[in-house]
Formats: sequence, C-alpha cells, structure tokens
Amino acid sequence: MIVRDRSDRLTSARYDEAQDSMALLQIFDPKARPEPIGIDLGTTNSLVAHVVDGRATCVLDCDLSPLLPSVVHYASHGGVLVGAEARDLAAEHPRETLVSVKRFMGRGADDPETRRLGPYDFVSPREGESNTVRFRVRERVVTPVEVSAEILKVLKSRAESHLRTVGGAVITVPAYFDDAQRQATRDAARLAGLEVLRLLNEPTAAALAYGLDKGRTQGTFAVYDLGGGTFDITVLSLDDGVFQVRSTGGDSQLGGDDMDRAVALDALHAMGFEDLATVPPTLVRRALDAARAAKHALTDATETALTIERDGDAPYVRTLTRDDFDALVRPVVERTGPACRRALRDAGVKPEALDGVILVGGSTRVPLVRRYVKELFHHEPLADIDPDQVVAFGAALQADMLAGTGPREDALILDVIPLSLGIETMGGVAEKILPRNTTIPAGRAQQFTTYADNQTGFILHVVQGERELAADNRSLATFTLKGIPPMPAGAARLEVTFRVDADGLLSVGAKELTTGIEQHVEVKPSYGLEAEDVERMLMESFEFAEQDIAARQLRERVVEAEQVLGATQKALTIDGDLLDEDERAELEGALRALRDAMQSGDRQAIHLRTEGVDRAALPLAERRMNRAVQRAMSGHALQEFEEELKDRPVHPHLVGDGHTH
Amino acid sequence: MSDPFTTLGVPARFTFAAGELEQRHRDLSRTLHPDRYVSAPPSERRVALERAVAVNDAFRLLRDPLGRAQALLARHGHPLRDDERAPPSLLMEVMELREALDAARTKPDRVAALRAEVSARIASGERAVAMAFDGDGAPDAAALAKARAAVVMLRYLRRFEEEADALEG
Repeated sequence: MIVRDRSDRLTSARYDEAQDSMALLQIFDPKARPEPIGIDLGTTNSLVAHVVDGRATCVLDCDLSPLLPSVVHYASHGGVLVGAEARDLAAEHPRETLVSVKRFMGRGADDPETRRLGPYDFVSPREGESNTVRFRVRERVVTPVEVSAEILKVLKSRAESHLRTVGGAVITVPAYFDDAQRQATRDAARLAGLEVLRLLNEPTAAALAYGLDKGRTQGTFAVYDLGGGTFDITVLSLDDGVFQVRSTGGDSQLGGDDMDRAVALDALHAMGFEDLATVPPTLVRRALDAARAAKHALTDATETALTIERDGDAPYVRTLTRDDFDALVRPVVERTGPACRRALRDAGVKPEALDGVILVGGSTRVPLVRRYVKELFHHEPLADIDPDQVVAFGAALQADMLAGTGPREDALILDVIPLSLGIETMGGVAEKILPRNTTIPAGRAQQFTTYADNQTGFILHVVQGERELAADNRSLATFTLKGIPPMPAGAARLEVTFRVDADGLLSVGAKELTTGIEQHVEVKPSYGLEAEDVERMLMESFEFAEQDIAARQLRERVVEAEQVLGATQKALTIDGDLLDEDERAELEGALRALRDAMQSGDRQAIHLRTEGVDRAALPLAERRMNRAVQRAMSGHALQEFEEELKDRPVHPHLVGDGHTH
Repeated sequence: MSDPFTTLGVPARFTFAAGELEQRHRDLSRTLHPDRYVSAPPSERRVALERAVAVNDAFRLLRDPLGRAQALLARHGHPLRDDERAPPSLLMEVMELREALDAARTKPDRVAALRAEVSARIASGERAVAMAFDGDGAPDAAALAKARAAVVMLRYLRRFEEEADALEG
C-alpha cells in the first residue's frame, strides 16, 4: 500500500470544493469550456489533475485515491483492466499483466536490457516491422505505446466523469527521456484520443507547482526526482516568473523498481534460487510485490516482515530491518550521485549556492534517499507537497496556462534538451549538432555536400547521447533525402536543419542551397512506431472503427478552420493598421473564401481555403511579431538596464532595435 | 543567420552587467515562446517559433564569453574559421599544458593548480578582447589583431578546460 500522508486528505477536501463550483458551472453555463488537464503518466502510478480557482487538484477515484496503478491486465475475453484490479491479478497472471510498461517505451526489441525488465512473453519483430518491444498477451500482440494508451484512456474517462468536457492535456515525461521515448508517449496519447497541449518534463512540472504554490519569485533549485522507474535531476532558476532550466541529467532506467528488485533478488537467493531466469514468473511477481510492501513499511517502521507466498509450500518469511534494507538498496541510491554532480557542474552551481532541493517521486519517501540527498546537496530537502502528486499538479497548472484560462500568464517555462543530438559522420563519429542543456525551442542548420558525381540521395543517421562514437549513442532515426539534382561531387550544398520544439521533439528538414529545392525527408525511426503504424492502430481501435471516418475528418477540418478564422480575425482587429490596403483586401478576401467553403461542407475546399488564409496572414504575423518584440525590448526592462548601465558606454542605436531580419 | 547581438537587441560589446543578457533573453522569451501562441493563427505560431529559436541560439552564443568574442570578430569582418591555425608558440604551450594535465591525472591538487593557471590566462585573453570591443566606435586594426590572437588562444584553452572537466568525471 502507498502510505497516505496529510496532503492526501487536503486534496480530497479541496476536491469537495471543486465539486461544488463545478455544480454551479453546470447550472449557469451549459456550454462550459473544455477543461485542460494535466497527466502524470508514471512508471508505478498515474494521476490526472486539473485547476480550480487557481489551485491544482487531482481527480480522485471512487476510493478517494488520486493514484491509478500503471498496470494493465489483458483478460481472456479480450477485455482490458487497468489499475488496482489489474495489479491484483499480476501475481496470478504475470505474462498477461503488464507492470511498469513505461520502462519499455521507446526501446528496441533487440535491446538486451529489455528482457531483463519483466517476466513477459516478448515477440521479435517480423520482417519489415519496426524495431519496437512487443508483448504477447493471450491471443494478441501489443506494444508499450498501446499499453500506455490504455492507462491514458482510463485517466481521460476518470477526468470526464468529473468535468463536463475535457480539453487538451499536458502529459509529463522524465526529463531524461530521449526523443524516441517522448515520441512514444505522444503516440500513446494520440491512440487514447487525447489532444496533447505539451509534453512537460516531470522535474520542471514539480518546480512549477512549488514555485507557484509558494509564491516564490527568485532562486536556484535542484529537483531530485526518483520515481518507480526513472531518475531525473534538474537544476533550474526562477526569475520574475520564468522557470529557466539550467541543466538536467538522470537515468531513464533507474528507480524504486530497482530497489524492489534488489530486495526480491536477495530473498530469492535466500530461498535457494541461483539465477532469476529459473524462477517461475509467478514467484518473481510475488517476491517483487513483497519487496515493495516491505519498502513502504520501512518508511516509518524500523523493521518489518517480508512474506512471499509459495505454491504448495509454507510462505517464505523473514524479518527485514531498515539497516538490512538500506544495505541492499544503497547501490541503487548511489547510482544517482554522478548525474547530480554533473548537473550541478553543467549549471555552474555549487551546492551551497542553491536555495533549496525539491523531492519528487514516491521513491524519495525512502529515508536513505533523503539522507543521501541531504549529503549531496548540503540542504535539508523540501517535500511539503506530496511527492506523488506534485508532478500532476504542475502539469495541470501548465495546461491551465497554455489554454489561456489561468490567471498566471506571466509564468513561463524554458526547458532544455537532456542529451546532445547529433549525426553520424565519417568513421562512425557522432558530431553534436545541438548539445545537451540547449534551451528549447532550438534549431541549428548544418551544411553537407555530396561525395559522388550525380548523387541524388543522402542518408543521415541521427543519434542522441554524449559518447564519441555514434554506435555508443542512442540511434534515433535514419533520414533519407531524395531528389538532389545531378551535380558533380562536392558541388551540391545541402543544408540540413535540426529543430527541437517546445515538447522536446526533434524534426529534420533539408534544402539544396544551389537550386533552392526543398528535399523530401523520409523518417525511419530506429525504435518505436512509424506515423502510419499509429494511424493504423487508431483505425483498428474499437472507438474509431464504429465511427464514420469521413465525418471525423470533416469535423477536424472544420474545427481547424474555425480556429484559424477566429484567431486571424482577432489579430486583424487589433493590429490591422500594420497592413496596407492591398494586403488587407487580400487577407479579407481569403477569410471570406474560407467562410464560403465552410458553408459548402467540402472537406478539401475547407483545407485549401484554410491554407489560403494562412498564406495571406503571413505579412500580418511577421509585423505583429516585430511590434511585440519592440514592446518587449522597450518596456520596463530597458529602463532598468539604463539605470544599471549609467556608468558604461552604451550604443543607444542598438538598444531596442527589435528587427531580427 | 543574422547577427546575435541584433537578434537579442543588445549592444555589440564584450562586457555585460551580471544578469543583463539573461534579463533580455527572458523578456524576449516571454514574448516569443510557443506557449504564448497556442491559440494563435498558424502563421503566427510559425513566425514566433522561428524567432524563439533564433533568440535562444543568440543567447546560447552570447552568454559564453568565447562565443561572444567570436561573434564580435565576425561582426567586424574577421570571423574565425573552424580550422584556424594557432601560432607555433601557442601550440607548444598548449601541448605542455596537456602533458602536465596528463601527468597530474591522479593528483587533484596538481589539476587544480593547472586550472588556476589556465583561468588566469583566460582572464588576460578576455581583457584583450574587451579592450578592442568595449570602447566607443570601431576598434583599430592593432586592437582587432590582438583580440583575434586572444580568441584563438581562448579556443585552445577551452579545449584544455573540457579535458580537465572530463578528467573529474
């Protein structure tokens, strides 16, 4: 059992208030706005939260618990169980019950680590299938993306049962997740029918919750986030409501699960098993469950009984003291040390210069972890927001800000890339294009040339990691560029652009500079699913098979067109003076054409006219941005600078020049 | 790529007050970050994203003294090439430093002393760059040449520092 602390009760009290205000909303506003939600898709437990009157609260299940165990059971008649009921079936049906599926996200089927992680029936990919982990559960084969989607669906319906309409979601991911793992999370959300507003790093979400809750405006903090299966360390500074991540590090395969495994392994050895591979899966699951129960008990108690049921035999029982436990898990805890030291160095911060250390994740309840963190950072760690819920709170606050419903429009998160992104060059060396800890959104262009006469294609192998050799880093994808005009070797100038968006997701574009031709880029992910795989799963999934696909597509186009119409009209009303008469007439014409197309209900026409508005609105967009930048540069900040800079030579013609082109 | 000083809207000089670049980066991020354009028309989302990327890149370059020095040289028409050759005396010096670092591998005190030596050299190099670019008006040819030599040295010393970092794990 998870130990409940006082903040759980606080949550339920706040929740009651939320229920009241929702009831009022339902009476007075039958067309209530969709409510944005925040989701913490955890290794062990998942949560969904939303914001009521500026405060984040978790949506509780019928047992008043905010936690949904991240366990999925595939039942014999094709049914799927998620949560506590599934977890209760794990010992009896270890192969049909997927526990800690997050650890498999974005990993390859051929990854030796993969099979170590659970007693499952792994299926190797068939010829032509993508290299992703696949589990056989009864008569079907599922991927980690589909299993995670089942968890997300339950969270979504949990939110829907409490809120009138659920809007977009912010979903948290470990900061140390690489591109493949992030992409897999996004795919899972798409399969679950969720609109993803943003993928948010878990430690950053926690910092947001702390910063906004405690009304802090300044300071440098370390966030130590040890969850069920992932470890993150993030150093960030908070300045006037801007949360700027200075460095991040971690291990996406380290967490409380590893403590359970250490304790279970020790018990199984004591029971006479030499090698974990020879232990029946059911016994492995029972030993892991017993280890976890003992770990929870030892948070408060100094000794506990570790009991493992055995078929046809008396249960194995032993007394486990906290000292025994500490000795067993110390190596796991100490594995967090090097990443912490490196993150401090990358941020250029000494432990003494920190204003605080925030604890996140259920595994930070372990007393040994708290002692270790205190030693490492020379600070008594902060844990006054429930470490199980704080990430979901942060996600909900961010969702609220993104949806524009929140009052805190001035808060802003500037996050970073956790691992360097690069490409494989001659000799298998990884050349870094965007180094780790680069602030996102980020981009970089790199030039290449052809090495053979009349070469019309180019293959780029994109890798992520810090090692010198490409082969030692994580392979992300192979990008094939085609359609380069025939030229002598070395004459082509190929510009490849890497772009990492605010979700931390990479995209690659290419252009041949001598001809200006945009190249077609084909992406073959090294791990995980291709875009078509996800589309196919979506089509195959029960919910969508029943729907008329054409009607759904038309609906999507109309929603998009309405959004473009509304937003463009608003921009034109506010800043219409930025356009000359001709430009204005053109944009208004495009808007009229889109309205006409929407009347017609022709999907293709709506799409074309939406693009038409987008093109015609570009001059307005550029000039509005110039105006906004000029305002930002000539606002209060500049006056402050001038105060500060009185004593030094200033080049006034450059200050406040907002043009970037 | 446009000049990073212009992108960030700061004067093109070497020395900045503590927090000045950071403050400007925050102000621009508040205006340009994709989070601010979630419900904006797609054209604005694209334009804002492009500019946010440019601002982040300019900030990354300018917050680093070596990046700032190289940007100043480029701005005054003397960009450093990636394969810029160092004078033999500098090469010799750097080689000796590296050998000393290699020999000090297991002696933290010795590594710290070497680092201090290198830090002092970096400070003097940065002074030469500041001399050229912090005054009023464009630097003269002699100051520019001195600054350029200093930046070449700073680049080599940066690699030494990275190796020392790697040594400490």
